[in-house]
Amino acid sequence: MLTSLYVEGRSWFHRVPVRAKLIALLALSIALFTTNSVLLLLPAFLVCGGLYFSLGLTLRQASARIGFIFFTILVLAAVNLFLVPLPQVVALVLRLMALVFFAAAVTATTTIGAFMDEVTFLLSPCERLGLLRAADVSLALGLVLRFVPDIFAHYQAISEAHRARGLPIRPLTIIGPLIILTLKDADTIAAAIDARGFRRQ
Amino acid sequence: MNTRDLVLIALFAAIVVVLGFIPPITLGFIPVPITAQSMGVMLAGCIIGARRGALSFLLFALLVAIGLPVLSGGRGGLAIFAGPSGGFILGWVVAAYVTGLLAERIIRPGISEGRQFIGFFLASVIGGILVLYAIGVPWLSAVTGTPLLAAATGSLAFIPGDFLKAAIATLAARAVYAGYPLLPARA
Repeated sequence: MLTSLYVEGRSWFHRVPVRAKLIALLALSIALFTTNSVLLLLPAFLVCGGLYFSLGLTLRQASARIGFIFFTILVLAAVNLFLVPLPQVVALVLRLMALVFFAAAVTATTTIGAFMDEVTFLLSPCERLGLLRAADVSLALGLVLRFVPDIFAHYQAISEAHRARGLPIRPLTIIGPLIILTLKDADTIAAAIDARGFRRQ
Repeated sequence: MNTRDLVLIALFAAIVVVLGFIPPITLGFIPVPITAQSMGVMLAGCIIGARRGALSFLLFALLVAIGLPVLSGGRGGLAIFAGPSGGFILGWVVAAYVTGLLAERIIRPGISEGRQFIGFFLASVIGGILVLYAIGVPWLSAVTGTPLLAAATGSLAFIPGDFLKAAIATLAARAVYAGYPLLPARA
C-alpha cells in the first residue's frame, strides 16, 4: 500500500552515499539562493533536470512525481509576471525547478533504510542529551507502516456501512468513527510492545 | 514518554496518511478542493493534544522526507520541501501544537457541550488556519519571490474552505471527545 518513491537502479547517483547527497542538496539550495543570474541558474537547471531524468524512471513516472509542484511554481510565476521584473521571474522559476529536480533525484535514489540510518545519526546528539531515543523514532515509523493498511481497512468498512444504509460518503461522518476505531487499539498495541520488551524499560 | 503516547503518535500519523485517500470534496462556491488530509492538523491538536499532536506531524513530515508518498494524491519526497509549499508541511507541526495547546486550555471535563464546540472551533481556527498561514505564506513568498502581500491575498481563496474544515474538525473532535476522550490525559 505504501511503496516508497525509491526506484531500483544502477546509476552513479544511486551509489553516492546518502549523507553526501543530503549535504549536496543543502549546499545547492543555499548556493542557488545567493545568485539571481540566469547564466548560472540555467546550467544548474539543465544539470539537475538531466540528472533526474537519467535515473531510470520512465518519462511518465518522472513527470507524475514533480508535475504538481511544477504546476504550483508556474502558477506563482504567472502571478509574479505582473509584480516582479521578467529576468527575476525567470531566475526564480529556474532556481526552484532546479532544486525540485535535485531533491526528487535524491528521493528516487535513496532507500528508506538508508534514510533511517541517516536520521538515527542526526538524532544521536538529542539522544546523548536524553531528549529522545532514536530507536523510538524507528519504532514509531514502523508502527505507521504496519497500521496504515489496517486503518485503510477500517475506512473501507465504514464506507461500506454508509453505502449499506444509503448514506453519502462524507468526511464528516467518516472521520469520527475512523479515529475512535483506530485509537481504541492504542492500549492493546502499547501493552503488546511492552510485553515484548521492545523499548527495554 | 510512555509507550501508549508513542503508539498514539504513530497511529495518528497513520490516520493522517489514510485521510489522504478520502476523495476531496469540491464545492461550487469555493475554488479549491477540500482534502480530508489538511484537516488532520486541527484533528490532531483537538484529539490527542499539543505535544502528541505536534510529534505526530513531525513523524508525518519525516515520512514525507524519506520518500513515502503519504501526501494526498500520492505525493511525497524531498521535492515537496524544496517546492513552494514546503513551509506548510513544516507549519503543520507548529499548527498542531498551537491547536492542541488551546484545546487543552479551553476544554475542561465539566464544561457544557456548546462551549466544547466553541472551544474546538476556536482552537482549530487559530492553530490550524492563523498559525499555519503565518508560517506557510512568508515561506512561499521567500521561496518564490512573490511579494508577501500578493501571496497573502492569493491565500484568501483557501480561507472559506479552511473555515469549513475547522467546522468539520470541530464536529469530529467533539464526537471523539464524547466517545473516547484522550485530551485530558496529557502527555
